[in-house]
Amino acid sequence: MSAAVEWLLGSPPVAFAEGEVTLAAPWVVYGAAVALTAVSVWLLLGYRVPPRRLSSARRLLLAALRTAAFAVLLLCLFQPTLVLSLVVPQENFVGVLLDDSASMRIRDEAGGEASRAELLLAAFAEDPAGAADALGPALRETFVVRYLRFADSAGPVATPAELRFAGERTDLAAALSGAADRLGSQPLAGLVLLTDGAGEDAGEGLDEVLLDLRARGIRVFPVPLGSPRFDVDLEVGALDAPDRVLRGSLLEVRIPIRARGLGGQVARVEVLDEGRIASVETVRFDQDDVETAITVLAPTEEAGPRRFRVRVAPAPGETVTRNNERTALLHVEERVVPILYFEGQPRWEFKYVRRAVHGDGQLRVAGLVRTAEGKFYRVEVTDEQELAGGFPDTREELFRYAGVILGSVEASFFTQDQLNMLRDLVSRRGGGLLTLGSGKSYHAGGYRGTPIAEILPLALTGADGGTEAPDGSSSGPSVAERNFRQLAIAPTRAGRTHPVVRLDQDPLVNQDRYRTLPLLSSVNLTAAPKPGAVTLLEGVGADGTREPVFLTQRFGRGRAASLTVQDLWLWQMGAEVAVDDPTHEQFWRRLLRWLAAEAPRRLEVAVDPSRPSPGEAVTIRARVEDASFLAVNDVVVEAAVTRPDGVVEAVPLLWGGQADGEYVGSVVVETAGIHAIEARAGGAGFADRSEREPASAFFEAGPPDDEYFNAESNRELLERIARETGGALIAREEADNLVERLSLSRSGATVIERRELWNAPLLFLLLFGFLGVEWALRAMGGLP
Amino acid sequence: MLADALGDPSGPLAGAGAPPHDFYFTRAAYSGYGGYQGWFVDYPKADRQFLIGLRRLTSLNSYEYENAVLLTDPDLGRFPFLYAVEVGFMHMTDEEVLGLRRYLHAGGFLVVDDFWGSSQWANFAYEIGRVLPGRPIEEVPLDHPVFRSVYRIERIVQVPNVGAGIRGGPTWERDGRVPMVRGIFDDDRRLMVLVNWNTDLGDAWEWAENPRYPLPYSTYAYRMGINFIVYAMTH
Repeated sequence: MSAAVEWLLGSPPVAFAEGEVTLAAPWVVYGAAVALTAVSVWLLLGYRVPPRRLSSARRLLLAALRTAAFAVLLLCLFQPTLVLSLVVPQENFVGVLLDDSASMRIRDEAGGEASRAELLLAAFAEDPAGAADALGPALRETFVVRYLRFADSAGPVATPAELRFAGERTDLAAALSGAADRLGSQPLAGLVLLTDGAGEDAGEGLDEVLLDLRARGIRVFPVPLGSPRFDVDLEVGALDAPDRVLRGSLLEVRIPIRARGLGGQVARVEVLDEGRIASVETVRFDQDDVETAITVLAPTEEAGPRRFRVRVAPAPGETVTRNNERTALLHVEERVVPILYFEGQPRWEFKYVRRAVHGDGQLRVAGLVRTAEGKFYRVEVTDEQELAGGFPDTREELFRYAGVILGSVEASFFTQDQLNMLRDLVSRRGGGLLTLGSGKSYHAGGYRGTPIAEILPLALTGADGGTEAPDGSSSGPSVAERNFRQLAIAPTRAGRTHPVVRLDQDPLVNQDRYRTLPLLSSVNLTAAPKPGAVTLLEGVGADGTREPVFLTQRFGRGRAASLTVQDLWLWQMGAEVAVDDPTHEQFWRRLLRWLAAEAPRRLEVAVDPSRPSPGEAVTIRARVEDASFLAVNDVVVEAAVTRPDGVVEAVPLLWGGQADGEYVGSVVVETAGIHAIEARAGGAGFADRSEREPASAFFEAGPPDDEYFNAESNRELLERIARETGGALIAREEADNLVERLSLSRSGATVIERRELWNAPLLFLLLFGFLGVEWALRAMGGLP
Repeated sequence: MLADALGDPSGPLAGAGAPPHDFYFTRAAYSGYGGYQGWFVDYPKADRQFLIGLRRLTSLNSYEYENAVLLTDPDLGRFPFLYAVEVGFMHMTDEEVLGLRRYLHAGGFLVVDDFWGSSQWANFAYEIGRVLPGRPIEEVPLDHPVFRSVYRIERIVQVPNVGAGIRGGPTWERDGRVPMVRGIFDDDRRLMVLVNWNTDLGDAWEWAENPRYPLPYSTYAYRMGINFIVYAMTH
C-alpha cells in the first residue's frame, strides 16, 4: 500500500509527514495563471448557451470536471515542491541500544525456536546470510552506527557479538539517558532501541528521561523483541508480606498469580521456610488469562532472618519457569509483646484467656481485675509498681502495653483522660484495643459518644428507648435479659482466610470445626459494622438471623477489634469440646498476636531498598519516640551493620531535620548475603531503661531476580517511549522504514533537499482523468 | 436416685433464654456411702448464705441460689468452680470419675471441704487418685496466690462445725486436730484441686447469721471462700 502511495507521489508518505510542501513558481507564472484563468472562464462560458439536449445537472458536472482539470494544471504551474531535511550519508550517528539482560535468552521467538537474543544478533550480523533486510547493514549504509549495550548498567560495545545476555536488571531509563549523554554532542539521527522491555522495573524512572530526550530532540525508535504474550505461563507477582513477624504467629502472605493458557487447571502453591515446606495451597484458574491473588498462612517456627520462598509448580509447556517463585526475607522476632487485660469484675473469660496464652513465650498478658469497688487484683506483673495504682492514668504507663483488652467494665469507670489515652494508644502509639461483650460493654456500658466509640469497629448507634438503662435499674426484665441470645459462630468470607479466624487450612475442615463448637451468648445490642470495619465472625441466632460477632478495623496507626459475645471460654469448657481441643488456645493466641505484635516500639529501624545489589547504597532509617510515643530529635542513634562475613560496621544515624524522630544513615553494600542491623538509641530523651533494647532489621544483598518477571515483551512501554520522543515503533523486518525515518528525523547533520512534485504521476493521472471523463460525457451527449 | 435428690440438676440453665450469670456457686453431686453424710450436707443453706456475702463483698455477677450439678452432667464444664463436701464418704462411679477428670483437665477448679481425720483422708485420697492418677496432693504454702487474691490469709484456722462452734470446742473432729490446706497442681503449677481438711468452712457460712456461732470463724470462712473463687477465676 505504502509502495503504491510512494509511486503516485514520487516520495514515501513519511517524507510528506516530516517535510514541507511549498510552491516554488516565480512571479511571471502567477501572471500567466491569471491570464489562463481568464481564458478558462471564457471557455466555461461556452457551456452557458448549450445545446438544449443537455440537462442542467449534466452541464454543471461538465463544468466542474473542466475546472478540476484546469486546477490541476494550475497547480503544476505553481511548481509544488517537497522540501526535506535529509541527513547526510555517513555523517550522522545512530545509537543502537542493545538489551543485554538475561530475559533476552527467553526462547519465545519463531514459535519457540529462537531466543530474543538470537534474533537480535541475526539482525546485526556482519554478513547476514539471506537477510537483506537486516537492520545492521541497512543502518550502516547510511549512518555511523554506535552500539551501546544495556541491562542494569549501560556502556559502549564494538559489535553486538560482545553481548553476553546476562544482565540481572533492565534499566531503560539509565540506558536512554546514558546514550543521549554519550552521543548527544555528535550529529545524532536518533536512537534505535532493541529490547523486549521486559523486567520487573524496566520502565522505572523513565518520565524524566523521556522529557529530556524530547527537549533535546532525540528520537527513539524501539524495535520490540519477544512475544507480547506467552502461550503458557505462571508468574508469581510481588509478595505482600510483613517485614517482620512474631515467632509462632501465622505469617500472612498475599500472593498475586498470573496464569496464561491454563483455564480450568489447578496449580499448587507452596510456601517454604528456608527450604522446608510450611504451607501448601491450591489455586484454580477459571479462564485462560487470569490475574488472581491468594492469601496463604504459614507458621513461623524459628526466629531470626528467614527466607520465605513462594513456589508455584511449573505447568507443562511453560515458556519461563523462573518466574514461578519469589523469595521474601522476613525477620521472625523473638520478643515478648506486653498486653494489658482489664476486667471490671472477676469473669471466667479472664481465667481462660490467661490459660490460653500461658506457655506462649511471646505474649505477656498482665491482668488487672476489679474485685470490689476500688479494689484490684493484679496478675502477671513484672514488678511491684506495675498496675499498683489500678488502671494506668498516664500515657507513659499505658503505652508500655502494645495492646489492651477491655472486659466487663463501664465507661464511667474511666476518667475522660483515660478514655482519650485508650484512643491514643491505638491511633498514635499504634497499639491494639480489643473489647469484649458483657453487660457493661458497648451501649450497656455507656460507651456511646466516648473516645472508645470512635475506635470501635462497631457503630454504637441505634434507638434509645430505655434499652440502655443500666442492668436491673428498672422494673421488668433487665437489659441483659432482654438482649440475651445464643449464637452459633461461623466465619465470614473475609474470616475464612484471616490468620485469627481460620482454624484449619482446609476450608471444609475449618467450617466443620466451627460447626461443632458450643453456642456462645451475647447480651449486647446488635450493632452494625462501621464502613471501614471487617467482620470476621458472625453469629447465627436460633431464628437464623445473622449478626457480626467479631469485627476489626484499623484506626490511625493501630487496630481495634470487638467481640460481642461474652463467653468464648466455653470453647474450652463446653461439653462439645474435647479436652485437648486446641481451638480456644489457638484463637486467643492468634488474636492477641494479631492485635498487638505489629505495634511499633519506641525504637524502630528499617532499610531501603530491602534487596540491594552489591555496590548499592542502603539507607538505614530509625524512628525514635519517647515513653509517651512522641518523636524525639535529640538522641544519639547508632546502627551496627553486621556483614555476612561477620565484619561489623558502625553507622551513625543522624536526625535529618525533615521528619520528627527520624534518623538516617547509609551504608554501601559490599558483599552479597544477609546483613543484620542493630540500632541503639541513647541520651536524655531515651532514658527509660526498659526501652533501651536495640531494634533490629535484616536485609539480603544479592543480584536482583526480576528479569524473569513481567518477562513478556512490553509493547506498551516501548510504544510510550516512541510516542513521547517523536520516534516510532519499528518491526524487526522494517529496516528500510527505519532508515527512512532516521534519515528524515531532522536531527544531526542534514542537507535540504527539494523534490519537485509537478511530475508526480498522481497529478498526471488526475489531469487526464478529469479531461477524459469530460470528453466521454460530451461524446455521449453528442457534443463535439 | 442422685438425680432425684437434685431435683433439677441443670438449674440455672433451665429455661433457655435466661442470661447466664458470670458465676454459679456450684456444688458437686457425687455418689457415696455416707448415708446422711453426703454431697448435700449443709445444702442449700450454706451455699445461699455464702452467696449473700459473696455478692456483697465483691463485684462478681453471681447467681444468688445454689447450683448442684452431677459430675456426669455434660454441662459440668459451664461451671468452672466446684465445691464438694464430706468427701470422706465419697465413692464415685466410673462415669463420675471420668466426668470429674475431664472437668479438671479442661480447666475446672474443685474445692473440697468438711472432712476430718485420717480415715476420711484415706478415702478422699483414694477417690481423687482415681480421678487424677499419679498427681500428688501437696501442701499449699501460705505465700501461694490463693491466700492473696483478695484477702491476705496469714494462718490456717480450724473452723469447727456448728455444734462445736457454739459449744466453744473442741474444734476438731475424729483425729483431725490440725487443719490443712492442700492441693493438686497441674503441669504448669496451677491449682486444680484445693483441699480443706480438718475444717468446715461450709458450717461457718451456713451459721454466719447465728449469733451463737463465733463470728471470727465465719469471717475467716468467707475470706477463704472469696479468695478461692477469685483465684479460680484468674488463674
